[in-house]
Amino acid sequence: MTMRPWAIAALVAVLLFLLGPFLIIVGAGLSAGETLTFPPEGLSLRWVWAVLQVDTLRHAFAISFSLAVLSTLGALALGIPAAYALERLDPPGAGAIRALVTAPLVVPGIVVGLALLRYFVIPLGIGIRPALLMSHTALLVPYTVRVVAASLRNLRVDIEEAAILLGASPLTAFVSVVMPNIRNGIVAAFILSFITSFNQVPVSLFLAGPGVSTLPIEMLARIDFTYDPSIAALSALLALLSIAIVFVAERLLGLSRYV
Amino acid sequence: MIAAPRLRGLLLMAPAGAFVALAFLLPLAILLSGSFQAEDGQLGVQRYVQFFADPLNREVFLRTLRIGFLVTLASVILGYVAALAIVDLDPGSRGRVIGLVTLPIMISPVARTYAWIVLLGRTGLVNSVAHEFGFTDAPLRLLYTEPAVFLGLLQLLLPLIILPLVSALENVPRDAVPAARMLGAGWWTIFVRILLPLSREGLGVGGVLVFTGAITAYITPAMLGGAKVLMLETLLYQRVNVTDDIATATVITALLVAMSVVAKALLNRIARGRPLGRGRAR
Amino acid sequence: MIAKLRRIATLVFGVLAVAYLSYVFFHEPGEDAGADRLVISVFGVSQESFRKHLYNPFEAECGCKLVIETGNSSERLSKLAARKTNPEVDLAVFADFDALSAARRGLTDPIDVAKLGNYDRLYEFARDPIGGRMAVGYTVYAAGIVYRTDKVRIESWNDLWQPVLKDRMVLPTLTSSGGPMMLHMVESALGGNDPAFRGALAKVAANKESVVTFYERSAHLVQLFQQGEAWAAVTGRYNLPLLQRLDLPIAWATPQEGDAGGRNVMVLIRGSRRRALALRLMDKWLSTPVQTALALDLTDSPANREVVLPPATASLLTYGPAMIQRMKFVPPAQVLDHRAAWTAAWNETIAR
Repeated sequence: MTMRPWAIAALVAVLLFLLGPFLIIVGAGLSAGETLTFPPEGLSLRWVWAVLQVDTLRHAFAISFSLAVLSTLGALALGIPAAYALERLDPPGAGAIRALVTAPLVVPGIVVGLALLRYFVIPLGIGIRPALLMSHTALLVPYTVRVVAASLRNLRVDIEEAAILLGASPLTAFVSVVMPNIRNGIVAAFILSFITSFNQVPVSLFLAGPGVSTLPIEMLARIDFTYDPSIAALSALLALLSIAIVFVAERLLGLSRYV
Repeated sequence: MIAAPRLRGLLLMAPAGAFVALAFLLPLAILLSGSFQAEDGQLGVQRYVQFFADPLNREVFLRTLRIGFLVTLASVILGYVAALAIVDLDPGSRGRVIGLVTLPIMISPVARTYAWIVLLGRTGLVNSVAHEFGFTDAPLRLLYTEPAVFLGLLQLLLPLIILPLVSALENVPRDAVPAARMLGAGWWTIFVRILLPLSREGLGVGGVLVFTGAITAYITPAMLGGAKVLMLETLLYQRVNVTDDIATATVITALLVAMSVVAKALLNRIARGRPLGRGRAR
Repeated sequence: MIAKLRRIATLVFGVLAVAYLSYVFFHEPGEDAGADRLVISVFGVSQESFRKHLYNPFEAECGCKLVIETGNSSERLSKLAARKTNPEVDLAVFADFDALSAARRGLTDPIDVAKLGNYDRLYEFARDPIGGRMAVGYTVYAAGIVYRTDKVRIESWNDLWQPVLKDRMVLPTLTSSGGPMMLHMVESALGGNDPAFRGALAKVAANKESVVTFYERSAHLVQLFQQGEAWAAVTGRYNLPLLQRLDLPIAWATPQEGDAGGRNVMVLIRGSRRRALALRLMDKWLSTPVQTALALDLTDSPANREVVLPPATASLLTYGPAMIQRMKFVPPAQVLDHRAAWTAAWNETIAR
């Protein structure tokens, strides 16, 4: 096919629109000046260094990171069996369950946060940390179900049936035949869920409490009263972290297929 | 009697279903049901009437619809432009470009939106460039306007439609377009007759993601719109956390959920290739 | 064999990693030392300064651990109300009217001021700001007008409406603590004293096209000045040091009508089990050394009369008899009683 120059030009423009702001935030974060500006007033790592010294941000990072890993594992534990059942076992009520587990995708986060705080966390007397963990897990289940189901769909059924015919129990067949073959799907689900939880704002906004705050919430709060480039520097750091993850994931398993 | 594997399937699904039902659906249902209960405890739509009686609420509702629609429209156009160019690339660079498109999804929306504040200020890059090239005499106010929110949301959500469109267009037979060209079809005809029907599913999936993303986004309107350009999400947050008005919040909740569900149904119908307004063919 | 060992090693590593992350996530600071915990809910701004001058010294003294929740006044209040039956927080600080709202909703307990050794050192306005001994003020600020001296002159609250400020003026939104204070001063500059602020609301509505944005938090104010969006703004004086760090000619106006006064106060949460410890922190916060140190950091203006500040610091804070006397406090009860009507009028005529 012929490459049409205008198509390429349009593509470059779209990419610039998508990635330009990110480049700007990196530039602003590397500024040597006192205030947030672009182009930056000279280059330095001083704000990157400064932002790493802030206790509350470090603590919030630890909370966000551990929350993201734990809720992702929880969502995988719930999602993998459900995806397998939906794809292979044709259970009664599959349609309803499919709709149910994908529901968190269409409901606005603010609403979820409010509903969970008022009618789940407070009536049941759930602590702040378990509440955050449970809400994030519920939010991530749709992602794990969808991605794992998609990779199961690409896996031929007969391998597994062969294993069962040869005398393996369904569980053994799943662990030794199915699991290795959908490993990429599971890893993709893990990365997608991790990033979704790590960047989550509205739900956590309602459920966070004394001593427990997540990184994006702390960032939003600091944007309200800091005018220096420190949050830009932090944004740049986080973005670089994401890029590293995405690059590795794309190389290894073509993550974008699952988004 | 249910066959054993089906029963096993039910057991395997049960934990996920029960968990989502308890920790998500039930609280949400209680919150939503509150919107149909008037102050005196009677059931009815009184709260909705009150909500729409307030001119600010009406304006915010319409603005949310308008911005949602415009962002979806713009993403569909830009999405096709980008996706068509991407499927034209050789496989190697296609992967790299798809990686670049995926990248913004992974970056925190807080960080991405923050960039626009730097860009759109009166002394920001956009105004400097516009002034430099003589487009404007005096710097324009861009921040805290609807266009700022539009731009922020478009940038936030565009990748969500590019990716499904690319997957859909990749399945278009390689020789379909050149064949049509040889038969003398114009650019527009090719798009409407071949590419559009074959990429309907991607359009539906991406369109739903973008529209629901736009009407339910919180961070972008909060940071770029502020108190002057409220959308339903920011209004909801304000009602709950600033004025402690749960009644209004439940109505907004119901509206947002209804809008998402309706958008999903509409676009699914488009995706299945059925014209709007006609019954299901089944 | 080696493959099996490797699998076991991976599994062990995974389990350890998850265990460690669970510990990080579920671990309450100070829990393992068996120390007392005191949970406080405060404004997010300047936490580094509080950490240095208040939290660290207090933790060393009491052998306890402070757990800190941050956020703006109204957000923390609604969280507190939501968790009324099982409060997490022992001591909270609020804007004075939010404190009164908390008291009216039965979220607070009266303060036994006899237990506060520093109580007698407080200014009058800080001693019983919301009545019933339900709160004690710990800081005060003037709310007034900052402006670009090279662009405009401001000598009265009425100067906000001059044509040159079209599209260059930034005002607080009604739902922020600055909103009622601004309306109070606009109302009195117009010669009115209607507690429902009808005149002031009409004035703001008539000029709403001139306003760049109604800011919610002191948030974007500095940015708005820096980026040239704002030439004049109504704000708390606590933003002055940050504004003056910009390379711009920015000054604090002294309008003839005076400034509005804002107070932040401390309250004790009903149902808290650590009352003695909370009172101890409260007293420490009000002490002359802590109030002086926080003032020298430009964190908070003192509510303690015995604080002595060098002129360079004093000129950036709300400090000294002249400044204090200029301030007019909006009675907290007026804010609560009229807020619904203000909001309705504001939504009807201004926010659209």
